[in-house]
Amino acid sequence: MPLSLHTALRSWHGFFAALLLVSTSSLALAAQSNVQQSPRATVSLVSEYAAVTPGQELRIGLRQRLAPHWHTYWKNPGDAGSPPSITFNSPQGATVGDIAWPGPDRFIIGPVASYGYENEIVFPMTLKVPQDARPGSELVLEAKADWVVCEKECIPEEGTFRLVLPVEASARDASDEIRAAFRTADARQPQASPWKATVSAGESTLHLTVEGEGIAPATVRSALYFPDSWGIVDHVAEQFLKVEEGRLTLATTKGQGYTPGPSAGLLAITDGGGQKRWFALELTPGAATAATTEAPATLPLWQMALFAFLGGLILNLMPCVFPVLAIKATAVAGMSGGDRRAVRLSGVFYTLGVLAAFMALALALLAVRAGGSAVGWGFQFQSPLFVAAMCWLMLAIGLNLSGVYEIGGTLAGAGQDLAQKKGHAGSFFTGLLAVVVATPCTAPFMGAAIGSALVAPAYVSLVVFATMGLGLALPFLFLGIFPSIARRLPRPGGWMVTLRQAMAFPMYATAAWLLWVLAQQAGEAGLRMALAGLVLVGLVAWLIGLHQHRAKKTWWPRGAALAGVAGIAGLMVVLHGAEPVAAAASTQSAQAEPYSAERLALLRAEGKPVFVNMTAAWCITCLVNERTTLSTAAVQQAMQEGGVVYMKGDWTNRDPAITAFLQSFGRDGLPFYAFYPAGKGPVVLPPVLTQAIVTDSLKQ
Amino acid sequence: MNGTSRRAMLRTTASAAALAAAGFLVAAPALAAPVIGQPAPAFTAVDSKGKQHSLSDFKGKTVVLEWTNHDCPYVKKHYQANIPALQKQARDAGVVWLSVISSAPGEQGHVDGKKADELTASRNAAPTAVLLDPQGTVGKAYDARTTPHMYVIDAKGVLRYAGGIDSIASAKLEDIEKASPLFKTAMEAVVKGENVAQATTRPYGCNVKYKS
Repeated sequence: MPLSLHTALRSWHGFFAALLLVSTSSLALAAQSNVQQSPRATVSLVSEYAAVTPGQELRIGLRQRLAPHWHTYWKNPGDAGSPPSITFNSPQGATVGDIAWPGPDRFIIGPVASYGYENEIVFPMTLKVPQDARPGSELVLEAKADWVVCEKECIPEEGTFRLVLPVEASARDASDEIRAAFRTADARQPQASPWKATVSAGESTLHLTVEGEGIAPATVRSALYFPDSWGIVDHVAEQFLKVEEGRLTLATTKGQGYTPGPSAGLLAITDGGGQKRWFALELTPGAATAATTEAPATLPLWQMALFAFLGGLILNLMPCVFPVLAIKATAVAGMSGGDRRAVRLSGVFYTLGVLAAFMALALALLAVRAGGSAVGWGFQFQSPLFVAAMCWLMLAIGLNLSGVYEIGGTLAGAGQDLAQKKGHAGSFFTGLLAVVVATPCTAPFMGAAIGSALVAPAYVSLVVFATMGLGLALPFLFLGIFPSIARRLPRPGGWMVTLRQAMAFPMYATAAWLLWVLAQQAGEAGLRMALAGLVLVGLVAWLIGLHQHRAKKTWWPRGAALAGVAGIAGLMVVLHGAEPVAAAASTQSAQAEPYSAERLALLRAEGKPVFVNMTAAWCITCLVNERTTLSTAAVQQAMQEGGVVYMKGDWTNRDPAITAFLQSFGRDGLPFYAFYPAGKGPVVLPPVLTQAIVTDSLKQ
Repeated sequence: MNGTSRRAMLRTTASAAALAAAGFLVAAPALAAPVIGQPAPAFTAVDSKGKQHSLSDFKGKTVVLEWTNHDCPYVKKHYQANIPALQKQARDAGVVWLSVISSAPGEQGHVDGKKADELTASRNAAPTAVLLDPQGTVGKAYDARTTPHMYVIDAKGVLRYAGGIDSIASAKLEDIEKASPLFKTAMEAVVKGENVAQATTRPYGCNVKYKS
């Protein structure tokens, strides 16, 4: 039988071991087995006694001496690798216990972490010598072991060991060198912890709290938790330590295999003198930390209604509503000096339109809420289809104001006698539009009011939304209720045409803005479809105008217009299926970190102040705040001086993490700003910012 | 009105702040790693033949992702018998099997398309395609940590399994028989439209040799 390379090597190793035995000539070396050697690891079986007595309990150990930078593994090896295993062919009556795992270190290699040991380690096991072992005889332990050593690459190795221990009347210590190796491993043996340890899990974070005597900032310089089993923590994630008198907390990222319930692991603590010790922890589940599960406190109904009403009123001043108010203003100008009753009715119909829109939005929100999804105020702007449709609508209204075509007339197929009613329908429609466009501009008050309303019973929500609608509608309702004001408006005349044409431009501007929002949301493909739609809208408007202005009616402009409308409908179908682009880059800036709940928790555990800015491309108030306040040199400098981490969340597209964050504050809309001073709870900033507001709050 | 509104605003702010202070540790879902039961991260990568594949190309089919590095002893163990057999089983069941190589240039396991095809032939492997991911983009999107690291995505694009190929973390061939075949069980369940009992398990093997 040919001698295989493997066997040759093995016998060479045997020879090497024998050589060692002879050359050192000490009896103490009997406390070590043959040695298995590779360029990476020198492995043997050792005993803390060179000679043993009958009935003695002693420790033997698998000893690994590793080349620099190579490591071997703990019982939970972390992300890669595997712990050593050893099986004994025990002599009669002798028993060998399990490995008493020494406390490990953590090695981070790229995106993975390993738990294990470098340089030298002994994996101790208890050996019980049989009671009836005869002095003068030998106790022979044969073992087969395998282990993995890794640097960047992992090499599995294995070996068979034979350890011969003479049985004598009295035990004899192993050599100092071997006893020293045991002592080094002993220094790593975990101690039972005298402390109470709890673990609480958030959605993605894990907080360990260890409480008891002896924990103090002076005695704990650093700490690291090693769970006994895989997947409890994200092994590679940083563990942020906070030490107070009698208590330490570690905040880290939850592992993929985490399940609620008790668990165990080791806490490695480096004390003030740089000494590292390992403590065995039994973790019991603590109070849940997820604030998101807590319902926001509900304001009394009258207060909610008041805030909502004021919020609605203030919406009239928001940039989002301006273009719509322009339409209304044009309509009112048209009525100036007209029939008092018509003016009054126009105000009423506008109000009804506003209320109808608010009710529809409220019902939609409630329906989605009932379906279990988290949505927020202004959610409709998270749909690319909606944004594109609004953009087209704005162009269509603009073209109407520019006089390209007229609303009404034969296209609607309605008779002359209905003209009056059409005016009211127009008012109603204007009210609807005002609400739909205004929602992303969540004004002060609205956030809290809507937040409370959405966790309240449905009727409360409806009341709140209705009062908000009344607030928004109030200025024009006023005109109707007090016709004396309307009477003071200028007489109709040529100026009206000019005003109407001028009012087209806010519409075009809004269309342009919506187009920009869409580009953030649906990317180039979405933009392409929206632009095609704009051209079609222009074409249809022109065709309608052509038809309206012709004395002799022909069929083809109508047919072509219908084809154009069909084209737009087709685009809508395509856009409906469009997938949102993952990140809206434009709302991110260089110095801001993207929002992540776990990152926030970690930074806070680290004791860093954090400023959180929730924004969206469709939120004009957010963008204004950014321009006028947050990105100014003064504010940026204040943040830098205070060491504040600036975190930005982008809600342009749906993001459940941000929705959950807002809801934890009882909010449902943007803008939203929260400042977390170091070691303290958050301070919520008002939605309309000034430099002074921000710098003052940062000084806290 | 301005005074009133300011006071009201302050009161709102104060109550919101009190709320937030009550729930001291705010946590919300924002996982970097893909989540079981959620849509699997989208990706586009070029295979060993230069053909581009996107996850969305395979809608309607079960997709297996296997991270691999031919020089890793754990991978070697499973390519000796286990993985080629699993690939054939997958192919017969209409499952798309994508082997992904995320080793960066200069790192262990990095190969070009030609070498990848040679490996496929020499190991009797039968993946649908071998994706080359030297930048580690796909690997990081899936938080792939070891070779092998296995993922099963169902016909709707939802991630159903992430973890180890089996239950015994060793590089020894004889352990394949003894181990419980976690990945195989998961793949079979997904093909049948059944629930995966153990959807997250410990992946084991060598660490993925990403670009550092």
